[in-house]
Amino acid sequence: MKRIAAVVIAVAAQTAVAHAHDFWIEPSTFRPAVGQLVSASLRVGQEFEGDPIPRSAQLIDSFTVREGTKEKEVVGFENRDPAGYVRLEQPGLAVIGYRSKANPLQLDAAKFEEFLKNEGLERISVIRAQRHETAKPDRERFYRFAKSVLNTGANGGARFDQPFGYRFEIIPETNPCTSTPLRVRLLFEGKPLAGALVTAMHRDDASARIRIRSDKSGRVTLNLPKNGVWMIKSVQMVPAPAGTDADWESMWASLTFER
Amino acid sequence: MGLAHVRALTLALLLASVASAHEIGTTQVTARFNRDHTYEIDVVTLRHSKDFAQAAEIRFGGVRVNPEVRVLPNNTIRFRGDIPKNAGPFTWRWKLTYASYALTIGSRQEWLDADATSTPFPLSADLLPPSRMDVVRQYLKLGFTHIVPGGLDHILFVLGIFLLSTKLRPVLTQVTAFTIAHSITLGLTIYGLVSVSPRIVEPMIALSIAYVAIENMTTSHLKPWRVAIVFAFGLLHGMGFAGVLKELGLPRSEFLTALVTFNVGVELGQLAVIGGAFVLVAWWARAKPWYRPRFVVPASAAIAATGIFWTVQRLM
Repeated sequence: MKRIAAVVIAVAAQTAVAHAHDFWIEPSTFRPAVGQLVSASLRVGQEFEGDPIPRSAQLIDSFTVREGTKEKEVVGFENRDPAGYVRLEQPGLAVIGYRSKANPLQLDAAKFEEFLKNEGLERISVIRAQRHETAKPDRERFYRFAKSVLNTGANGGARFDQPFGYRFEIIPETNPCTSTPLRVRLLFEGKPLAGALVTAMHRDDASARIRIRSDKSGRVTLNLPKNGVWMIKSVQMVPAPAGTDADWESMWASLTFER
Repeated sequence: MGLAHVRALTLALLLASVASAHEIGTTQVTARFNRDHTYEIDVVTLRHSKDFAQAAEIRFGGVRVNPEVRVLPNNTIRFRGDIPKNAGPFTWRWKLTYASYALTIGSRQEWLDADATSTPFPLSADLLPPSRMDVVRQYLKLGFTHIVPGGLDHILFVLGIFLLSTKLRPVLTQVTAFTIAHSITLGLTIYGLVSVSPRIVEPMIALSIAYVAIENMTTSHLKPWRVAIVFAFGLLHGMGFAGVLKELGLPRSEFLTALVTFNVGVELGQLAVIGGAFVLVAWWARAKPWYRPRFVVPASAAIAATGIFWTVQRLM
């Protein structure tokens, strides 16, 4: 029994140090030709530097690509990186979308409070304080909602402003590959989400970073200072439904594209 | 609760820990602890870094060690080094991943979340570098047993030295010359300063046995050249000892201790041969008129014949 106890302690200790990190789709190219095979790697990390996440049926709720009005499965090999492959059939824009299943996560109280501050979720800290739960470790379930825009360079293709219908989603309202400024909207459960922190970061230039809150209509207008590969991300958090083993649900939305 | 149950539960808990963590990435880490008291940690990673050494935290009992780092093909980074003396439990931390990955140590596997530190892994005693006393004990024994009972050729050579004379002084002079000589070449060969092929050394050792035995049949006086020749043969025997010691291996942490005690063990083995021969035969027989014609000469002839046979055999 001693050994079991040791393992339990080890597991508890180990999960306590877990941090929360960004999640995004990194295609082999953002500008494929029609008919070209493009791999879509899933990444977890920080500052656009991440680890590849192999395809896992346990993880994926939906992994699709939209071209025009068509939506297809992104195929791939289980337990392999890159997690998926797409081949565009028509010119224009295409959007890859990934939605994960729920993943449980635990954080110790201090780390959780720090995370809430970094991700602009101070209102959760306030709720915890009101409930006198600031010192309580975090038990949460997290979900990933990642999208990536591919661009063959021609007009037409997918309606990039068409939602995938994810629970939390970043919707570009102007063409992310070309428009300046770029306007995006946050939708949470189908409704605009106001006051959420949105971060835009450049893959090769850490200084080119914008942090901005969404307005009443859930929108942000971004003046991206340079061309290159960009990620826009936001984290939403709500109390978990009663009767689950978690206190909070976090939703990580990201959008990657090249301009 | 049976062991199988414990294993099953352990596995279930490990899997549970994966579910309560990050997405599983492509990083894989395998740690090995070797018999030569080194550790080797292979990290398979798709990440790049100019400073992998900084990304890995390898600790024994909380004390961080500085491994040598090699980038191998197949996206593998190898960290290697000596296990410290009296090393405490091993822990591992890898700062170059944001995903979960498995750390494998032998049959044990632990899932680690991003830059988490692994559960301390106590090393079994045989993996820790031996203490100086352990080395002394072990290499004295190895040296001794290399002569008695292991080295019939060395036994015959020492008997050859012994059979020359019934007086103490000639025996001591020869043994001293032999000892100094083989100590020199044992050390020089082990440190790689001298290298002579066993194909030359081994037949020469056999020939040296034949030589001293044949000379025993012609004279019972210690000639000055005989001391020189025994010294020269000692140089050869030392190279032979070095060959054996290289095969046995020397602990990196106690290299010199092992070298010296092995040599002392060899010496004690030789003295045991001489002491044994003296007690068994010479002590009561050396004054008898038949000692030389009936014992020394036939025994030397037998030793010489064996030496010649070995010489031919080792040349082939």
